Amino acid sequence: MAERELMYREALREAIDEEMARDPTVFIIGEGIAERGGSYKVTEGLLAKYGPGRVRDTPIAEAGMIGVGVGAAIAGARPIVEILYVDFAMLGMDMIVNQAAKFRLMTGGEGRVPFVMRTQGGTGGGVAAQHSQSLEALFYHIPGLRVIMPSTPADAKGLLKYALRQPDPVMFLEHKHLYMTKGMVPDGEHIVEFGKGDIKRAGTDVTVIAWSNMVPRTLEAAEELSLQGISVEVIDPRTLVPLDRAMILASVSRTRRCVIVQEANRRGGVASDICSIILEEAFWELDAPIEIVAGLDIPVPFNLALEKASVPQKDDVIAAVRRTLHESPVARAAG
Amino acid sequence: MAQPILVPQVGQDLTEAKIVELLVKLGDTVKKGDLVAVVESEKASFEVEAFAEGIVISLPFAVGDVAPVLEPLMHLGAAGEEIAIDATIAPAAAPAANPADTGPAAVASALAPLRPGGNGGPVNAARRASPVARLQAAARGLDVADIAGSGPRGAVVLKDVLGLAHSAGAGGDMLEIRTLQSGQGTPVVFLHGFGADLSAWRPLLADLGLGLPLMALDLPGHGSSRGHHAAGFAEIVAAVGQSLQGMAAGVHLVGHSLGAAVAAALTERAGLDVRSLTLIAPAGLGPWVNGDFVKGFLEARSEPALAAWMRRLVCDPASLAPVLVRATLAARADSGLVPAQERTAIALFEGSTQLFSVAEALRRFLGPCTVIAGRDDAIISLRDIETSLPGNVALHRLAQVGHLPQVEAPRLVQALIARSIRSAG
Repeated sequence: MAERELMYREALREAIDEEMARDPTVFIIGEGIAERGGSYKVTEGLLAKYGPGRVRDTPIAEAGMIGVGVGAAIAGARPIVEILYVDFAMLGMDMIVNQAAKFRLMTGGEGRVPFVMRTQGGTGGGVAAQHSQSLEALFYHIPGLRVIMPSTPADAKGLLKYALRQPDPVMFLEHKHLYMTKGMVPDGEHIVEFGKGDIKRAGTDVTVIAWSNMVPRTLEAAEELSLQGISVEVIDPRTLVPLDRAMILASVSRTRRCVIVQEANRRGGVASDICSIILEEAFWELDAPIEIVAGLDIPVPFNLALEKASVPQKDDVIAAVRRTLHESPVARAAG
Repeated sequence: MAQPILVPQVGQDLTEAKIVELLVKLGDTVKKGDLVAVVESEKASFEVEAFAEGIVISLPFAVGDVAPVLEPLMHLGAAGEEIAIDATIAPAAAPAANPADTGPAAVASALAPLRPGGNGGPVNAARRASPVARLQAAARGLDVADIAGSGPRGAVVLKDVLGLAHSAGAGGDMLEIRTLQSGQGTPVVFLHGFGADLSAWRPLLADLGLGLPLMALDLPGHGSSRGHHAAGFAEIVAAVGQSLQGMAAGVHLVGHSLGAAVAAALTERAGLDVRSLTLIAPAGLGPWVNGDFVKGFLEARSEPALAAWMRRLVCDPASLAPVLVRATLAARADSGLVPAQERTAIALFEGSTQLFSVAEALRRFLGPCTVIAGRDDAIISLRDIETSLPGNVALHRLAQVGHLPQVEAPRLVQALIARSIRSAG
C-alpha cells in the first residue's frame, strides 16, 4: 500500500478530519483550537472546513470542558475534548473517574460514553513540574477507561480513528516531543485497533517494552546495542488499556529477558504492573531479573539539566539491557 | 609461623587416606626432609615428609584414623604457638599483612577452605539459578547445585544448562574437567603442564582462599583425557576452548608450562572472555625446550629413573617430594597414558624445539597478565621468556626456583595468582 511521510500532528489532524467528514456527530472543543488551530497545530484548518458548530474554542475551564464532553457523549455525540496539558486534566477527574468510567456499568450496559480526551504529557523544554508530568498511571488504574499512547504518526492516526468509532471513554495521551516527528503513514483508510501492540524492532536477546516518547529513545539505544552485538526487540504496546499481553509474553518467552521503559516516575507506574504480569505469566521463562527504567520519584525539575536527569535517557536503557545479560553497564573498549 | 603438612593427594579420585604410621608426636622438632608419617590409599602407601623445620604443634589424627586428603595432617610451628591463630597464613586471602585482619573473622575465613566441605562439594551450594535455568536443568535431570553458574554472583543461567547438556551429548570429545573447590563468581581454570594432570594443582589450591570456583582440566593426552588425541598445539587449544564453552561469561586462567601456553592462546578464542592470565613457567615463548628431559621423562619406567629426570624440574632436589614421583609413576600403570603423551610430545616438540608460539597472543591480550618463572629453570629458558614477553606483561623472576615455582615457592605463587585475578576487578 502506498504511504506518505507525515508529522505526528498532521497524522492526528487527518484522523480528526476524516472522522468528522464520515460521522456528523464528531465535534471538537478546546482552548485555542479553532481560530488559532491549537497550540500544537493539530486542529489547523478544521474551523474553516467544519464551522464553529463542530470546532469550538472554550474558556480556560478544564472541568467545564470535560464535563461538556462526557455529557455530550452520554447524550449520543462523539466529542473530542483537547486538554492542553495532561496536568490540567486533573480539574476534570470527577467527570472522568466517577462519571465517564462508571456510566456503562451503572446503567447495566445501556449507557455508553464515547468520549475522547486528547491531551499531551511528558517532559520537554523545561516547562516545569506542572506541565511535564506523565500521568498515564492515574487513568490506567481506573477500570472503564481506555488509555492510548501512540509513538508514531501512523499509530497516532490509526488509533485516533479507532477511538472515534468505539463506544467507551478514551484517554488519548500524546507527547509534546512527538508532534514534530515524522513517519510514514499508509494512504487511505488506516485504522489501528486497541489492544494490538507493535514490534518496532525485532530482536533475539532482550525484549524492551516502551511507549510514547520512550519508543524513539529505546530504538536509539537498540541501534547502539546492536553495534555491541546485542540484539534488542522493541515492543510498543501502543494502548496500555487494553494491553497486548500476548505479544509481550510471547516476546519475553523468546528472549527470556525484559526491560520496561517509562518516562513516568517509577512508583506505582504502569511499568511495575507490566512487570507483575510477566512475573505471573512467564516466570519460568525468565533468565534474568526484569529491569524497569523509569523517571525519578520527584516533581519534574524546571532546570533543563535536572529535567533530563529525572527521566530515562538512552544510556539508562543501554545499561539496563546490558544488566539483563549480566554485562557491565557500559561496553568495554574494543580490543 | 605455623605451617600445615597436608594429607597427600595422589590420584584424582582419592578423597581420604588411612594413617598407617605417625613418626612424630606433639612437641617433636622436625627438619626439612624428615619422614613424619605414612598414609595409605586403596592402592599404595605414601611417605609424608616435612618440607619445613619446626615443632609439631598439632596432631589431630592417630594411627588407624582415616583422614580426608588435603586436610592438615599436622602443623609445624614454634614452641608455644597456638594453631587456631597460626592457621591464618593463607597469604592469598590477605596478601598485605594488615594487623586488623587478625581478628576472629579473619581466622574463620582463612580456616574455611581447609574444612572438608571445601573440596569437591557442590559448586553452587546456594542453588542460585534463573527460573528458566532451574526448569531446564530439572527437565534434563541436572541439579543446579552441581552447575558452575556464569550469572551474577554465580547464578546458573540458561546457557550454563544448555552448555552442559551440549557437552554431555558430545561425550568423548570433551576433556575431563573438575571443580576442585566450590565458590561464587567468575571461575578460575587451572591448566597443568606437559606430563602432569589436573591433580597436580590440588596442593596449591587447598588453601588458595579466593572464594571463586576453582576448576582444573586434563589436557588432551593427559590424565582422564588420555583418550583425546590432539594433532598439534592448535588442536589442544581448540579442545580446551570447547570444554570451556559453558563459561562464556568470563574465566580466569592459570597455566603451567604447556598449560600456560594454552591459556595464552585461549585469549584469542571467540566466545571466551578471559579476564586474567597467570602463566607459570610458560612454554610457547621461545624456541628452546629441554628435549632430553622430554625424552628421558617419557622413557623412564622405574622410580629411580623417573626421579632422576623429575629432579631436573626443580632447583633444590629436596623440594621434589618422593610422593610426586611415585604418583607420576602410579599414573603410568595405565598402559595408554605414556603412548598418549608421546604422541602429544611429537605434535608439540621437534627435538629441543617448541613448534608453537603464543608471544603474539600475549601482545594482543589487554587484561592483567602475570608471568612467574624460575631463574634456574632447566626445562625452558628464562632468557627466552624475557626476550619474547611484551611490555604489558608483569614478569616475576624467582631465584633458586626451577620449572615448578608452584612447588618451590607455593606461597608466593598463590599470592601472585590472587593478585592477578583481583586486579581484573
